[in-house]
Order: sequence, then C-alpha cells, then structure tokens
Amino acid sequence: MLHFNSGACNACDIEVVALLSPRYDIERFGILLEPSPRHADVLLVTGAVTRQCADRLKRIYEQMPEPKFVVAIGACACSGGVFEGNYNVLGGADKVIPVDVYIPGCPPKPEAIIDGVLKLLKKSRKGKNRNE
Amino acid sequence: MSEKEQEILQKLREELGDRIIQVQTTRNEKLLIQVKIGAHKDAIRKLLNEDRNAGVSAITGVDLGDVISIMYHIRVHGDVITIKVEVPKENAKTTTICDIIPGADFHEREVSDLFGVTFEGHPNPKRLILPDDWPQNIFPLRKDVETANLIRTLDSRKSLYNEKNVAEGENVKIVFGPQHPALIEPEMFSLEVDGEIVKRVEPRIGYVHRGIEKATEQRTYLQNIYLVERICGICNACHAACFCQTVEEIMGLNIPARAKYLRTIILELNRIHSHMLLLGHAGTEIGYETFFHYMWRDREPIMDVVEMLTGNRVLASFITIGGVRRDIDEKMIPKIKEKLAILKNKLPFYKNLFENDPTIKMRTKNVGILSRKDALKLCVVGPVARGSGVKMDVRKDEPYAAYGEIPFNMVTYDDGDSWARLMVRLDEISEGLDIIEYALENLPSGPYRVRAPRVVPAGEAIDRVEAPRGELFYYIKSNNTAYPERVKVRTPTFSNIRSFVNIAEGSNIADIPASLVSLDPCFSCTDR
Repeated sequence: MLHFNSGACNACDIEVVALLSPRYDIERFGILLEPSPRHADVLLVTGAVTRQCADRLKRIYEQMPEPKFVVAIGACACSGGVFEGNYNVLGGADKVIPVDVYIPGCPPKPEAIIDGVLKLLKKSRKGKNRNE
Repeated sequence: MSEKEQEILQKLREELGDRIIQVQTTRNEKLLIQVKIGAHKDAIRKLLNEDRNAGVSAITGVDLGDVISIMYHIRVHGDVITIKVEVPKENAKTTTICDIIPGADFHEREVSDLFGVTFEGHPNPKRLILPDDWPQNIFPLRKDVETANLIRTLDSRKSLYNEKNVAEGENVKIVFGPQHPALIEPEMFSLEVDGEIVKRVEPRIGYVHRGIEKATEQRTYLQNIYLVERICGICNACHAACFCQTVEEIMGLNIPARAKYLRTIILELNRIHSHMLLLGHAGTEIGYETFFHYMWRDREPIMDVVEMLTGNRVLASFITIGGVRRDIDEKMIPKIKEKLAILKNKLPFYKNLFENDPTIKMRTKNVGILSRKDALKLCVVGPVARGSGVKMDVRKDEPYAAYGEIPFNMVTYDDGDSWARLMVRLDEISEGLDIIEYALENLPSGPYRVRAPRVVPAGEAIDRVEAPRGELFYYIKSNNTAYPERVKVRTPTFSNIRSFVNIAEGSNIADIPASLVSLDPCFSCTDR
C-alpha cells in the first residue's frame, strides 16, 4: 500500500503510521507500506483534496499498476469534512479519483483503518471490482 | 505596559519623531505602534538593536476596507511588540525588511499571496502558499472576496490540474516531494545538485493550504475551536489553547485554576507524543527502523492517557473558551501515573542510545548545522532555536496556563546540529513527564470551566503558546459579533522551514531527509 496526504491535518496520517508500529502491526496481514506508487496496489488517501494537490493525487493514482484500489481515510478524504466549502479545497478524494472504501472518523482509530483495509482485501479476493 | 516597554517606546519616539502616527495597546497589554509608510523599517531596526535575541515573530495582514494594515510582530525580550503600517488597497506596496532580518522572507511572501501587497526589494518574491495556477489578481483574504464566488471562478477554469513542472531547467534538479517516502505530508523541495552536493534549494509549500484563516471568518468562535484544532492534528491542543486564550484575553475572562492545570496536562501530553513521533520518524530517516518501532511502541501509553482524558486518541477537543470540556476523574489519576511510568522507565535507555549509539551519532552529529547566529537571523523558534543555543521558550518568557507555577527546566544544546535538535526533544519528554506528574499532584479543586458569552466584544489581542515545534502565534480581531473579523495563525514550522534552505545548501544529498526531519516540519501547520 501507498500513503498519500492530499491536504490532511496530520491526525489521520499519524494513525496510518501507527498501523505499522508494534501495537497494531499491520504487516501480520501481509500489508506493507511501499515508498513508490509503482509498487503499490492500494492507495490510502488522507485529507481533503487541495487545489494544489489535485494534480499530484491523480498522477500518483495513474502511476499505480492495475488492479488498484483506493481507501479514503478520515472525514476529510471521504467528503471534505470540516474544510468543505473553503476556497482552496476541492472536496473528498472521490472528486479526483475513484474510491473503493471509505473510513470515516476524525481521525478513525487504527482498529477502524485495519477493519476497512481488511474489508477491501476480502472484496478483492472475491475478484470483485468497484463496479460490481 | 511594562517599564521595559515604556523605555523602548521612548527610544522609538526619539528615533522616529512625528513618523509615529499612533500608539495603542491590545486587550492583553501588548504594544501596537502605527507608523507612517516607510518608517516601519527604521522602527524594526531599532527594535532589533534592542535585544540580540530579537526576531520577527509573524507578519499579519488585515483588510480594513480602503487600506490594508500590515503588522510586523517583533519578538523583543521575550515579549511581542507590533509595528503597524497601513497601505492603500489600490496600490498596496511597501518596502521589504528581508535585508535587515532575513527571517522575514516567508512571512512577507505569505502576505503578498493572500493580500496582494508588494514588498519592494524582496529577494525572491515568488508564489508561496497559493496554487501554481492561481489567478494573478485575486487575493483570497481580502474582505471583498466572497468565498462562494471565488470557488465559482476557480472551478469555471478549463482544467483543475495545473501543477508546475519544476524539474525543467538547465541544471540537474532532484525533486523531493510532494510524494516521497521521507515525507508524510505533501510539500515540494527542488534541489539543484552537483554530484552528491546540494547547491540550491527551493521550497514550494502550499500543498496543504486549505484556506483556514478565511474559513474562521465564516464560523462562530465556538465552531472555530474545532476548526483550528484541525490546522494540525499533532499539536491540536496547542492550537485550541492559543485560540481560546486569545479570545479570553479579548473578553477579559479569567479561567479557573483547575482548568489551567488540566490545560497544562493536555498540552504536555501533546508535546510528549509529538516529540516521540518525531524521534521515531528520525529513526527511519537515518536507516534505523528498530528505533522507530521502539519509540512508537512506547508512545502508545501516552495515546492511551489522551484517550482516557479526552475520549479520543488524537484530536482532543478538550480545551474550550472558559476552561476545558471535561473534568478529570479521581480514579483516573493512578491509572495515568501508571501509564506515564512505563515511558519514564524507558527514557534512560533512549538517552544512552542517543549518546553512544554509533549509527545515530554518525548520521546526526555535525550534520545539518545551524549556527546560533543563523538561527537568530532566520528567526527560528522552539527546539530548532534551543538546539542552536538560543534560550527561547514561551512557557518561560510569558507563562500561560499553569506554567508559571510549575517548576521545569528549559532544555538547550549549543551544538546546532541534527543531534542537538533531537536531544532537545528527548530531554523535553522527561521534563514533560515531570510537569504532568506535578500538575496531577497539585491539581486545584473547584470548577473546570466558566461559561463564556457567544458574542465577543470588539477588540484585538495577540497571544502565544509554546507548541511542540516552537512558538505558536495567534492574532485575533473581533467586531462585537459571534464571528471573528480576522484570525491570523503563525505556526512554528512556518518560521522554521526557511532555515532548511541554509541547512541543506552545501550538504550531502543523503543527509537531506535526516536534516529535514530534525527540524520537525509540520506542513499542515505551515500551510493552514
């Protein structure tokens, strides 16, 4: 998986990093954080999408190999959250790229993020894509 | 006004004479001196000569209708003195102060972006915080710009995707960010390199600019507490504390002693978890991943305490205008102490690691040096300043919450390298644990909040808080309604990030991530 912050306040981001730490240890599910979009299957997006970031978010998504999935973490990535309606904010991640799983919360607890990612894994194992 | 301030004011009167238009004080007794256009530079030079530790704390723009008021908040003897000039909106320009104090660089560029003020003679007047394709003559923080119309104008353009390609040009450029494994947040630094050595650095911030300052004007004070907390998820309690303090100053509201202690506890918890997160992150950047896992494992008890106290792990929503939102339960205190002891017992191990581990020493000692002189020139704050031997800490200079009553030490190191900056944070963790312990033991009884009115009387105030990354600055102007007229937030990283250019130029490219992390940059703070 790859993590990209498209305009978050860092709260979701530190919870994403906490997933890697010993208490939550997401590696036990075979999930690894990748540094490059070219090596990732799942994109974790945090934060509302700002006008300056929109371009980059789209490019990162396009660089990922198929099949690929997107998880929107936190209220802002789901809908724009508290920043909805600000001049420099486009809205949630789905304004720019397709999203498969929405994990609301401000920020969602690491357990919630794990649950969301596992739901995605289950779904992808069944061979379903987002249109089904 | 203190005697010191009287004396400084007298000296300014002698220097400037009739070029001083007006002398005022804010609601919390901070000097505000309005001078004629062009005289601000002489006034600021005089203030900088007053104190060798003086520097620019922030520059605020306020739209007053026909004129734009530019306020230079100068830190003198630990306090803030403001020099104000008013420039006509039609032809908004003034002269730069970068030549007398280089740390004003980013502050001026921000005002230029958001208010359309030209700072004549600025060394690098490029766009800083707004997107690359932002229309030339729209300045979002001016009052005549209405958010809904602005969004319509921006959305009506052909393409939403117009990020500039900075990799073009003659020299070899390495683009570091906005998506990079060493950066958790999106921000871009283009590095011009010659072999392994970095020759020039051009930071481009603004990727996380959400327009929060404008948004505060459309929300009530109570709603704004939750908004300002989301400027930064890491130091959220500091933002809430600084915002509430400033509003309380305007209202003239005194909060109960118990609330002050509870605020101190949450502020210190904030600092500890933020420092641990940074130290762990620094571990990954120097190629020491085990250290990251150790730090983050031991950080979890702190998160548990925050959850116990506030009901949430990260965004606390604990501090409110008039006090705090929840009281502490007597039964909770031993549990909190137990959790804090887990961390306290681990600290000697980390201290030993930092002092003796060859990996840490090789990657951080004598790397990313910021001399004391440069630190002062660039107006850095917090652990970055303290790592370069500058004695500066708002908790000591101008005590807020219960810091005036709790004994603690200010940590400084003179080395000025990455190692010193990390050591400052490690030592502050143990100071923080002691502060919390003291506060829990001496917690005053009584109410934990007082009711505050929703409408805030007209006035202005400046307040500061020592956030984990340094001095956090708020300026609030109210207009006798439930909505603020202007909220200016100057975050610590905004002051610190300019120094990265000086640190990085001439250093080895492999040291770039580690030196950047040692500044503990928080870009969601920087961009707002």
